[in-house]
Amino acid sequence: MSQAAVKVDRLEKTLGKTHVLRGVSLEARSGEIYGLLGPNGAGKTTTLRVVCTLLTPDAGSVEVLGFETRAEAAEVRRRVGVVTAEIGVYPRLTARENITYFAELTGVAGGDLRRRVDAVVERLDMATFADQRAESLSSGQKQKVAIARAIVHDPPVLMFDEPTSNLDVLASREIREFMVESRERGKCVIFSTHVLHDAERLCDRVSILHQGGVVASGTTAEVRGTRRDLEDAFLELVGAAR
Amino acid sequence: MSSIAIVFRKEIREILRDRRTLTAIVLAALATPLVLFVISQVATKTAAQVYTVGYSGTIPAGLDVLFSATGLKLELVADPPAAARQQVDLGLVFSASQIDEYYDPTRQSAQIADTRLQTILGKYDAAKIAASLQEHGVDPGILNPVPVRVHPLSSPVQAAGDSFLSFFLPYILITMTLTGGLSAALDCSAGERERKTLESLLLTPAPRSHVLVGKILAVSAISLASAVVAIGSMLIALTQISFTGTPGSSLHVGLNAQATLIMVWLAILLAGTFSSLTVALGTLARNFRQGQAYATPLYFITIFPAAIVLFIPDFNPSLAYYLIPILNAVLVLRDVIVHNTAQWQAIALTSASLILAGGLCWYAALRLFTREALLVRS
Repeated sequence: MSQAAVKVDRLEKTLGKTHVLRGVSLEARSGEIYGLLGPNGAGKTTTLRVVCTLLTPDAGSVEVLGFETRAEAAEVRRRVGVVTAEIGVYPRLTARENITYFAELTGVAGGDLRRRVDAVVERLDMATFADQRAESLSSGQKQKVAIARAIVHDPPVLMFDEPTSNLDVLASREIREFMVESRERGKCVIFSTHVLHDAERLCDRVSILHQGGVVASGTTAEVRGTRRDLEDAFLELVGAAR
Repeated sequence: MSSIAIVFRKEIREILRDRRTLTAIVLAALATPLVLFVISQVATKTAAQVYTVGYSGTIPAGLDVLFSATGLKLELVADPPAAARQQVDLGLVFSASQIDEYYDPTRQSAQIADTRLQTILGKYDAAKIAASLQEHGVDPGILNPVPVRVHPLSSPVQAAGDSFLSFFLPYILITMTLTGGLSAALDCSAGERERKTLESLLLTPAPRSHVLVGKILAVSAISLASAVVAIGSMLIALTQISFTGTPGSSLHVGLNAQATLIMVWLAILLAGTFSSLTVALGTLARNFRQGQAYATPLYFITIFPAAIVLFIPDFNPSLAYYLIPILNAVLVLRDVIVHNTAQWQAIALTSASLILAGGLCWYAALRLFTREALLVRS
């Protein structure tokens, strides 16, 4: 079994007066899609934000490819790409300029810069709108820009936080296909969602979070157990934890 | 390329594609000459304005000539005190022993007419007394035992121009360095949160302090450009517009090389300080509109120092006053324009004060930019 690309150990986090994470632990490996499941407010987004160094843990630890998030935040950021439901882009920049900006900020430079941006534009089939200003793009096209800027530096760890919640069926499907393709390329993909149908189809392993804690963890089959599907398992586990 | 330069270049590119900022700069360039033109028209009209004096009784011989020469038109009325309330600007009752004057001090036209009347009566009295003394064989020179010969060290026109400039230049400089970059400052701070790009930006390995410096430098550059455009158009307009009522005559408003250099230096410091401050306020705000609400009081706060020069032209401050940000810039500009002196101690204090103020604002912006609540509240 391959070594963990992302290792979260007894993570605690309080935001304001809310104890959001209560000892979350998980391990996600390269070449797999790891599902982070749970109802709204379970702590999925907070967990991802701690992993990608946007938030600092109160207790516990997080390592990404051996780099500790508190001590080596910049190294972690170089190795992580995050796609969220918020497809905010700079409206007065073109799609290509948006991607180039983030590539430069992640340290891609020189001849490599153009090559990487061109490659990601081609890979996500963006050539027809790459030189249009982002303000004129559709939601699906903006989501592609958001994915492109997250992967342009070719990070080994990809995190998707409810990436399809604002998208139509076609765009959602493209995102799912992209996640599968990333797994095949050996990336560690962490997929946070409350759409259990998607999780069941895509994820190799999952953790179910509820009220800031992990209530179940394992392969999709292990977590499903003898129930009909992951949704039944989820409802049973979350219901038992209430 | 460093992350500061990357952020700076991107922000400048976005700003230059933002109609709001470009419109503000163009309007500033057009508005200043327009405002000055209106002021010149009002000044010219006031200088040439003829005011009506309603009178009764017999006008002393020769006085009527002085009235018409000073822009006061005499009009015979039945009741001067009543007429002075509405119908005319001033009421006079001439009797053998005295002149009774009636005017309403709340009316500006009455105040101006009164000033002109006092000037006329002063000259008339002096002429009458001199004539009377001469009739009695006495030299009228005894009325002026110590004659004073006035030798202006600069031309009155130059002085008027300097005085005008000493108010308007700081006013334009402060206003434009603040407002010229305001839209850009809010867009690159509150706007990042509003359009949901902040999280992606903070996910990059670029140090947040570098990101912030890149943004502040871009906003400073736009503020500076706005100020330069507005001041340039103002200086050009001042050489073309007459403020004296005499066609073709204009104020002498040229800035010498030293004054120009000092002004540019102050503009850089003010742009940096205001940019740091407005980016900090924008970082505090959740969206562009909230940022505008936070920044609104700045308009009032920053304009007070320029007003001091307007309302207290002889304000002669100690060096300690040069420690007060913004006021110090106004005072230095006044020194260099009106008094034609560059007090290097004052300039050094002013520079240190503005750099410190800018540094504190930058630090506050950095603290706000690096706190977790920034993302959680988003």
